[in-house]
Amino acid sequence: MQPNNLKRVKIAKWALPLAAIVVLGLVMIAVIHWRSQRLQARLLATPPEAVANDPALVRFATAQARPLFAAHCALCHGADMRGNPALGAPNLTDSVWLYGDGRLFDIELTIMYGIRSGLDKTHNETDMPSFGLRGVLSDAQIRNVVQYVLQLSGRPYGAEAANEGRAVYVGTGNCGDCHGPDARGNSDYGAPDLTRNVWNSGGDPQSLYTTIYFGQHRMMPAWKGSLTLEQIRALATYVYAVSHAK
Amino acid sequence: MSQMSRVRAFLSRPQRTLVLPALAVVIGLLAAALGLFRAAPKPLLVVPPGYVALVNQKGLLLNDYRAQVELETAKHYADVTPDERRRVLREMINEELLVQRAVVLDLPETANEVRATMAVGVNSQVAAPVLAYEPTDAELRAFYEKNRQNYATSGSMTLHDLVLGVGGYQNANQTTAQAQIDAAEAVYQLRSGASLDYVMAHFGFRPSGRAAQGEELDFAMKLHLGAQLYAVASTMRDGEVSDPIVAPDGLHIIVMERHQFPQVADFTAVRDRVYLDYRTASSNRATSQNLRLLRSQASILLAPGLSE
Repeated sequence: MQPNNLKRVKIAKWALPLAAIVVLGLVMIAVIHWRSQRLQARLLATPPEAVANDPALVRFATAQARPLFAAHCALCHGADMRGNPALGAPNLTDSVWLYGDGRLFDIELTIMYGIRSGLDKTHNETDMPSFGLRGVLSDAQIRNVVQYVLQLSGRPYGAEAANEGRAVYVGTGNCGDCHGPDARGNSDYGAPDLTRNVWNSGGDPQSLYTTIYFGQHRMMPAWKGSLTLEQIRALATYVYAVSHAK
Repeated sequence: MSQMSRVRAFLSRPQRTLVLPALAVVIGLLAAALGLFRAAPKPLLVVPPGYVALVNQKGLLLNDYRAQVELETAKHYADVTPDERRRVLREMINEELLVQRAVVLDLPETANEVRATMAVGVNSQVAAPVLAYEPTDAELRAFYEKNRQNYATSGSMTLHDLVLGVGGYQNANQTTAQAQIDAAEAVYQLRSGASLDYVMAHFGFRPSGRAAQGEELDFAMKLHLGAQLYAVASTMRDGEVSDPIVAPDGLHIIVMERHQFPQVADFTAVRDRVYLDYRTASSNRATSQNLRLLRSQASILLAPGLSE
C-alpha cells in the first residue's frame, strides 16, 4: 500500500467516528432546541391555572427559571427563596401572599408590574403609614399595639397592654382599615394577615415596633421589559411550584 | 506543480494584497443586498402565546386582560361569564384603537393632558425607589431644622401708618427739610405719649390708608404696606413708634399697636408635615436629577435670541 493511502486509512479510522459523533451531537442539539421551543411556546400558550397541573411544563419552567431567579430575584428573596426580613422581602416558599391569592396568575402579575414600581399597573393601593415617625401614635401606644399583635398571632403577651393596643388598633391607629377588623389582612391592599404569625420584616416585639413606627413602603421592580413574557411565566411557575409543593 | 504549490505561488504574487480586501467587499455587498432585498417580516396572522388579541399587530397582553376582567367584574377569572369576558375584551380593543389613533394624531405633541400625564408617569417611576426609603428620626429632624421657616405660623400686626405729604404732594406746601423736622418732632411726641389724633391735627399727618384698620396677617400687611414699610414694621414690637420713613408719597410714621411675631411650631407638633415635606423634597430631588441626566444626554438647540 502507498504511504499516502496508508495515511488516508489512518485518518478515516478516527475521522469517521468523530464525524458521526459530531452529526449525532448536532442532531441531539437540534432535537433539544426544538423540544425546548415547543415547551416554551406551550408554557405561555397554556392558561396560567393549567400550567401548574402539567408536570412537563413545571419541570421545564423550573429549569428555565432557576438561573433567572438567581440572577434577578435572589438578591432580595434569597437564594433559598425564604425572603429577607431586613429588606422586608417575603418568603416565597410558604403559602402566605401579600397580594392576590397565590394563584399563578397573581404571582405572574406581581412579577410583571412589581410593587410600587412607579408603573400605573403596579400594586400600589396603599402603604403602611409610619405611625411613630409621623407622630400619629405615641411610643406607649405603639408598644401596646405590639402586645395586641402578639396576642393576635397566638404568642405570649401582656394582657393589659394588649387591651390598650386593641383600642388603638380599632381607634386612633385605624389599623383595621387595611388589616381588617378581624386582623386577617386584605390581599387587595397587600395588608398581611396578623393572625398567622408569618412576618416579612420580623415578628419579634422589636421588629413589630419598628414596623409600626416607620411603616412599610417596600417596593419590587417591574420585570416587564427587562424579562420576556416566557421568562416571567417561567419564574411565576417556579415560584408557584415551590410555594405549593406538598 | 501540485495544487497547493499553485495556490502558494498565487498568494505570494504582489497582487495578493488586493485579493482578500476585494473578497471582503464582495461578501459585504452581498450581505447588504440580501438584507436590502429581503422581504419585510410578514404580519402575524395568529395571536402569539401570552396575548389575547392583536390590534394592528399590537398585542394585548393576556395578563392585562385577565387583570382587567377581574377588576371590572370583581370576580375570579374562572367565575366570569363569557359575556363579561367579551365585553372587557371589546373595551380593551376599543381603548387600544383609540390609543393608536392618539399616536397617529400626535396627541403627545398637541394635547396638554396627554403631555402632562406622560411627564407625571416618568416622574413617578423615577421617584418610586426614593419613596420606598423611610427616613430616620434624625433625618426628619435635620430636615425640620433646615426648613424651620416652613413650619412657622403666620404672624399678624395691628398698626397705624401715618403719612405727611411733602413738597406739593396732596397740596402739602412744606419743604422736605421742614417736613423731616416736623416728622421727627411728631415721633418724639408719640413716643412721649401724645395721641395719634393730636399728632395728626398738630403736624398735618393723616392715615396713609395702606393698612387696614384692625389686625392683618403678615402676608396681607406686606402686600398692603409695600416692601419698604413692611421691612420696618416687621421688626417693631408692641407700642413702638418708627423713625420717619421717606417714601415717594411723603414721610411715614408707623405706630405698632400689636405685633404677633410668627411662631415656629415645635417639631413634635408638625412631625407629620415634616414627614410629608421630606418625602416631597426627596421625590423632587430625584426628578430633578433625572431631568439633569436627560438634559446632559439631549441635544437642545435654541433659536437665536432665546435663552432659558
